[in-house]
Parts: sequence; C-alpha cells; structure tokens
Amino acid sequence: MGNLVQAELRKTTTTGLWWGLLIPTVLVALGGGLLTGLIGQAFVDLTSSADAEQLSDLIGVTPDQWKFSLFGIARSINLTTMFPMIFGALALSGEIGRRTITTTFLTAPSRMHTMLAKLLVYAMWGAIYGLAIMGFIALGVVLTSHPGQLPDTGGWAMLTLVCVISSILMTMFGVGLGGLVSNMAGVTVLLIMYFLVIENLAQFFLRLSGAPEAIVGFLPNGSVDGLTGSVVADLFLAKAGVVPEEAVEVLRIIAGAGGAQVWWLSGLIFLGWVGLAFGGSWALMTRKDIT
Amino acid sequence: MHDGSGLIAVQNLTKQFGPVTAVQNLSFTVSPGSVTGFLGPNGAGKTTTLRMLLGLVKPTSGTATINGRQFHQLGQPGRVVGAVLEAQGFHPRRTARNHLRVYAAAIGVPDAQADQVLSLVGLGTAADRAVGGFSLGMKQRLAVATALLGDPQVLVLDEPANGLDPEGIAWLRTFLQSYARMGRTVLISSHLLAEVEQTVDQVVIISRGQTMYYGPLEHLRQQQQRRVLVQPSDVGALATALREGGVQTIEQLVDGRLAVSGVDSKFVADVALRAGVSVYGIQEEQVDLERLFFQLTSGQYAGYAPAPHQQQQGGWA
Repeated sequence: MGNLVQAELRKTTTTGLWWGLLIPTVLVALGGGLLTGLIGQAFVDLTSSADAEQLSDLIGVTPDQWKFSLFGIARSINLTTMFPMIFGALALSGEIGRRTITTTFLTAPSRMHTMLAKLLVYAMWGAIYGLAIMGFIALGVVLTSHPGQLPDTGGWAMLTLVCVISSILMTMFGVGLGGLVSNMAGVTVLLIMYFLVIENLAQFFLRLSGAPEAIVGFLPNGSVDGLTGSVVADLFLAKAGVVPEEAVEVLRIIAGAGGAQVWWLSGLIFLGWVGLAFGGSWALMTRKDIT
Repeated sequence: MHDGSGLIAVQNLTKQFGPVTAVQNLSFTVSPGSVTGFLGPNGAGKTTTLRMLLGLVKPTSGTATINGRQFHQLGQPGRVVGAVLEAQGFHPRRTARNHLRVYAAAIGVPDAQADQVLSLVGLGTAADRAVGGFSLGMKQRLAVATALLGDPQVLVLDEPANGLDPEGIAWLRTFLQSYARMGRTVLISSHLLAEVEQTVDQVVIISRGQTMYYGPLEHLRQQQQRRVLVQPSDVGALATALREGGVQTIEQLVDGRLAVSGVDSKFVADVALRAGVSVYGIQEEQVDLERLFFQLTSGQYAGYAPAPHQQQQGGWA
C-alpha cells in the first residue's frame, strides 16, 4: 500500500496542477480575507449612530466588538474549498480521460488498492489546501479588520480545524465524483454549478415552500457549509451578548449554517455524502471494463 | 501466489459487449522461452483478449491466467507481467523520467530502474522532456520501458510496432527475441503476419473471436504445400511423364506454365530431361504465409454466417 501511496503522491507532484490550482485558491482566500475586513470596517462606521448605541446598550456589546469578521471567514472557506474539490475531481477523471488509468491498474495489486491510495493522498492534499486557505484568509482579515472584530486564539484554532476538515472532505468528495463522471470538463462544470448555483437555488425554493429549515442542513452544500458556519455562529454568539432568538437563525444563515446541525454533526452528514460519492465511484471503478 | 512458470493460459474465454460477441470460447497457451504472435485482423478480438488477460476487462465466461493465477491474484502484477497496450496514455506534461518514477514507486522498484529502462529503449537523452512533445514512436518506446520497469517474467504487447520507425521495429524484434531466450514469455499481437513473422516462434491466429490456429510458425509453413512452376517446351509430354513418375497434383496455369505440387524443382527437371522435354524456366514457389493467414482469417466481414471452425493444435482449423 505504501508503494501505491508514493506513486499517487508522485503523480500529483510531477505535474503543475497542484500549484496551478493552489495559486487561485490562495488569491481568492486572500481576497476573501481582505474583503471581510473592509466590510467589517464599513459596518462599524455605519452603525456608529444613535440607533446602534441603543442596540448595543440592549445587548451589552458595542458594534466594534462584534466579531463580524467570522462571517466573512466562513464564507471565504466555503468558497475556496471548491478548488481542492476540483483538484480531487481530476484525480480519477484525469486518469480516465488521459488513459493513464490502464498503467495505474496494471501496476497495482488491485483497483481497490488504487482507490484507497488515491483517497489517502488526496486527503493529505486536502489538508495542505485547507491550511493554505486558512493562512491566506487570516492574512487578509488581519490586515483589514478592526482588532476587536477578530476571533481570539481559541477561535482561530477552531476555524483552522474546521477549514482543514472541510477542505479534506471536499477533496475526497471530488475524488469520488471524478470516478462517477469521468469527463474532466464535465465533472468540473458539474461541481461548480452544483455548489454555486443548483443547491443555492434548491435551498431558496425549499425556504420559499415553507419546508423545514433543517432539510437544508442535510444537503451536500448545506452540510459542508454548516460545518464551518455553525462554528462561526457559535463563536459570534459567544461574544455578542444577548441576541434575540429570531436573530440567531438569521445570523446562522449569514454564516452559511442555515438549517444546519452542530458543526461536528454537519461534518458527519457531509462525510456521508463523501461516502456515497466515493462508494459509487468505488463500485463503478472496480467493475468497469477498461477498453 | 503464482507458480512462477511464466505460462499464459487462456481457457474458453468469452466476452460479450451487449449484443456483440468480441471473443468466443477462445483457448490457447503460451509457454516461456519463445515469442508468440497473437494474430488476427482488426476487430478479431485480440485487444479484448489481452485486456481480459491483464484484468482490465472482465470475461463473460472462461479464464485467462498468468503463472496459474488471474491478474488480480498476482500480488505484485508489475513484477510478473509487463504490458504495452494500445490507447495506453501518458500525462502530456509529465517528463518521461517522472512517468517511470511514478510506476517504479507503484511496482516497488528503485528509481534507478527508471533510468535503466530509458537507456534500454533509447530514450536516455529525452528523459527530462515532457511526454506531450514525444512522437508516436517515442511514446511507444516509453510504453515498452514502462512494461520493463518491474523486470517481468511475462511481456504482453498489443500492436507494439505501431508508430515505430524501421530502426525501432528492428530493435524491438531483437530485444523481444533475446528476452524470450532468457526463458521469459513474450506474447505480441498484430494484425499483420508479415510484421511479426521474423520475430515470433509460435502463433495464435484468431478470427471472429475464435482460435483458427495455434502452434509453431514452422508447422504452419510446412503445411503450405510447395509448388514448382515450370515452363516446358511440351506441356502435355511433361504432365504425362510426371504422372508416370507418381506425381498426382499437376495444374496448368493460365500463362501456360505447369504448377507441380509435392515435389522439388530438381525432381521436375530430371523427369523433363528423361522425357526429352526442354525446360525454359523453373522456380519453386515461396511459402506465402500472408496468403495462408488471409485464408485463415478471411470472411470476418463477409456479411454471412461463417462456417464453424474447430480449433486444433499445430494444424489447420
């Protein structure tokens, strides 16, 4: 198994795809971080009014101490982890498309071994992407945010943890889907469309139809966003003083955790989706005739 | 684990792709120490058979084994069998050396093996070039190098001459023969007998997914009756003299010559001399294996149901 893991690792490091995707990933992460800080500052300026003072008196915290940067961090993580997901999706679809899968299967004890080796290597890449994403988001946020809006050390640690977990799971989800949709362009477009458009539309219509909000938290994007969003909502609320019950759900939606379960349960739900995609891919790849 | 015999055994192998029968009840064995040609026209089922042998395509029925085991039971397949297949791809932006280092890691051989096989196939100077810039022939050499990475006991090559220049073909021929002389097994497919005639010792000829012949190439040659083509001064007198001499198969050709089967040119010349017939020209017809191959494989796309053939070893079907 170690041999195959090394082989899969070499496959990823001997082409330019890993850094070709990492560059836009960190640029978007940095941009997201910078924008988060700027929007936070603008919010503080806007709320420096008599109304805001009344509100802050009511909840016991002044607007410049609200951890608004957290929401931007969560949204930036959700957006940028799509890059490692695409990186993962090209793991199998790229091999099938370029027909290198033939040599891969000819040099592996079994197709199962190949799939497992890919899973391990891409999980590692997911972690690397996750750390890079968190690092660049943090850089952007720190450069532009009011110090009072930044999370504390524990908050940063928790955000880093869920960012890395989210990135690993997204990458593995991509690997699974890449085996099911073996066309490189096809799987890339499908994933982008689903995570940016299709599920957001589905969530919108679900809410419009009056369906239970919790359904959203069981959808792929809803659950993986809930992983980071729930942590962010909890961190914000912990420092926000007294927040009315009806405002909590609005804040969770802003954080991307609308209808989502607690962070670890959201992670497990998305892990289920990863298992479904990977299991389907596994079943297909182990039976597929390579002609 | 496998028995290390180097034996390839295909038994009653059948593959159905929907309504299409690509391979039908195919059986043959390939022994170590020789180069075996796997021949048949395009679409005969060669590639499908080889891919079933290599575990890439699942047979509908029957078995294909290497060293007594199916491919997925070989443990470290790259150390047992190396394969060059059609449509075997390369990442265009990966260098030749890196391509080999990837699979060297998978097989579990030292990285130095990558440079050794690159030199062996004549790509040493192109090691750090991206494969996307390679010619078809260079890619084919790289595929051979990949197959050799694990120093395998068995080599399976599907149409390896495709894209190779004459120098490459000559190199491959010599290489495969010396590889087999080391007691290893080489199975090489082609749709042209002439392409592999000088390389192979044994042949398996298939058509319509069925075995038409398998055995030594020499047996195939011997089964083609030799003919002597003679231009006599008196056709009738020579034909009579030959019949009196015990020759049964005499045929008059449209150009006036006699085609005499079952004897050599010296015999015919001696009979002509004794009969007082002048001989203006005489020649022994060369064994035309290509024609024989065509006879064995013809009719695949003739549009009618072919007569059933029974496979036999070392003889005609």
